[in-house]
Amino acid sequence: MATNKPTGAQLVISTLKALGVDVLFGYPGGAIMPIYDALAGSGLRHILVRHEQGAAFAADSYARATGRVGVCMATSGPGATNLITGIANAYMDSIPMVCITGQVGTHLLGTDGFQEVDFLGLTLPIVKHSWLVRDASQIPAIIAKAFAIAKEGRPGPVLVDIPKDVAASFVDSSDMGELSAYVPPAPNAEAIDAARALIEQAKKPLLYIGGGVHMADADQEMRDFVERTGIPLVATLKGLGTVPTTHDLALGMLGMHGTRAGNIAVQETDLLIAVGARFDDRATGKLSAFAPHAKVIHFDIDHAEIHKNRRADVGIIGDLKLALPALQPKMPDISEWVKFNKANKWQHRFKYDAPGKGIYAPALLKYMSEVAADKFIVACDVGQHQMWVAQHCEFAQNKAHITSGGSGAMGYGLPAGVGAKLALPDHHVVTVSGDGSFMMNIQEMATLRRYGINLKIVLLDNSSLGLVRQWQELFYEENYSEIDLSDNPDFVEVAKAFGLSAFRITQRHEVEGAVDRLLAADAPTLLHVLIDPRENVWPLVPPGASNAEMMEERWDEPIDSY
Amino acid sequence: MSQSIHIEIDRLEGTLLRILGLVERRGFHIDGLELYDLGEDTRGLTLTLRPRDATRSFDTLGFQIDKLYGIRRVPAPQATPVAAEAQKISA
Repeated sequence: MATNKPTGAQLVISTLKALGVDVLFGYPGGAIMPIYDALAGSGLRHILVRHEQGAAFAADSYARATGRVGVCMATSGPGATNLITGIANAYMDSIPMVCITGQVGTHLLGTDGFQEVDFLGLTLPIVKHSWLVRDASQIPAIIAKAFAIAKEGRPGPVLVDIPKDVAASFVDSSDMGELSAYVPPAPNAEAIDAARALIEQAKKPLLYIGGGVHMADADQEMRDFVERTGIPLVATLKGLGTVPTTHDLALGMLGMHGTRAGNIAVQETDLLIAVGARFDDRATGKLSAFAPHAKVIHFDIDHAEIHKNRRADVGIIGDLKLALPALQPKMPDISEWVKFNKANKWQHRFKYDAPGKGIYAPALLKYMSEVAADKFIVACDVGQHQMWVAQHCEFAQNKAHITSGGSGAMGYGLPAGVGAKLALPDHHVVTVSGDGSFMMNIQEMATLRRYGINLKIVLLDNSSLGLVRQWQELFYEENYSEIDLSDNPDFVEVAKAFGLSAFRITQRHEVEGAVDRLLAADAPTLLHVLIDPRENVWPLVPPGASNAEMMEERWDEPIDSY
Repeated sequence: MSQSIHIEIDRLEGTLLRILGLVERRGFHIDGLELYDLGEDTRGLTLTLRPRDATRSFDTLGFQIDKLYGIRRVPAPQATPVAAEAQKISA
């Protein structure tokens, strides 16, 4: 039927364009066909991934790299459920993302129709908000609201589930409506005063910087605060790089795989200043033994985080861009405390002279981050290599470290690299993965080739699930259960089959040349690195233990080539 | 130790499930539930809750509920004629 009226699907596309979306990630299917029909020729750039999970992870990473809302699309049923891990990942790390899913027609809802699944119900615990759209005329307003909700306050994923008949129906009139601009709450002046008083009385203050600082776009305000107070700092996995990791006062990551200097500082501090951090169990270890001598100041945009895990003496809820500059303490003399921490940092610095001739992954990662320097962006997978990246790479900015924090989702690295490289094409974007994680979304190498995305991949292969193996070695009496991946395919040949360049190294003396070659390549390239399966991540706080109980590295055997 | 929370909710698809799911996931038993009309677009909901362990805080739960869209906590139960006819469900 010829008509000038737009369909719901056309409104989806026109609204995305009106909201400034320039790229989205997805995979078509039955129930979302009207939207893909409207997408064709629309000018909107769509990246066809090879699995919906890749779409969600790529959109998440695109959001992290740009600070904008990431967008992914999938069809109903299995297409939608394949998004779930990515949605949960975005929820756990507070990433702004809008997911648009097709749904069976409204007359089929609740009938167990083909590819029907209650996606609104399935995702309730892992979204900030969600809609099942029943009236096409509401599509522009709902999508606009979804973008606003995804970004405002503490960011997160939002779902818009659209039945096929709603997407296909014609609409008489519709618009986005007026949305009042979100204004983050200003911090309470009395709370700022109380925080100032605590800092002025402190002898051993310590900053505990989380991912919320970057999410609030308050990196510079955080750096300014560090410079004017001289307070030492530790960072969470997501907080790394907010203050450059090379900064004199930066003691590294705290927690389970944190630095010894960082964890000592937390145990010794008399005033812990948490900024955009949520006292996650991987950071705190045994909660009752965490920062045992400290009063706590807690900055967060999310009121529900204050007192959630650790009682705060002062809670400051609001915009960090306002709160941090407002806090202007007259600093007490903390020179002995600073000296103490710098001495610990030096004494417990990482060492890279591992015995043997085999490749020592931490040294490779450190070298790569130093060579790539300010243009270095790592999209990391999950496992031992993820912790090595956090420990050994230098990050000049927070967005340089794109990693699955709260969710710890294996398979994140490759699609995250796709999203990050599309967002930051002039940077050295490197996916660092392990042989377990890489196999979980290996199909996205096809996406690299299709779009010519010049992502670099460092695949650290220990032919096992290394972090699980490490825990089985240390905490399960070496009862190795289902961690052997020695029947992995030949990753170089697999990468070449996908149309990528690929090469392998096995010896320590090959590392620098290989990294240089990788970074200089003008096409997507995989560097396959064979490492010792017995290598562990150190230091390590045993699960359930205090951060004071760190286990240390034992170099009693040389690392040989594998 | 039980405590009641009083909430106004928009009459939107999924809103009730969103609240009940959050409450249970955050570590509370739902001992009682009362749902009543407050108008064409709004319903009232009173939940009687009991924490599963001593670490669960009603204050934190309240702030987590506040983050949901289309939902407003209110300080006390609203005794209205409509409420008197409320549908009561034992959970």
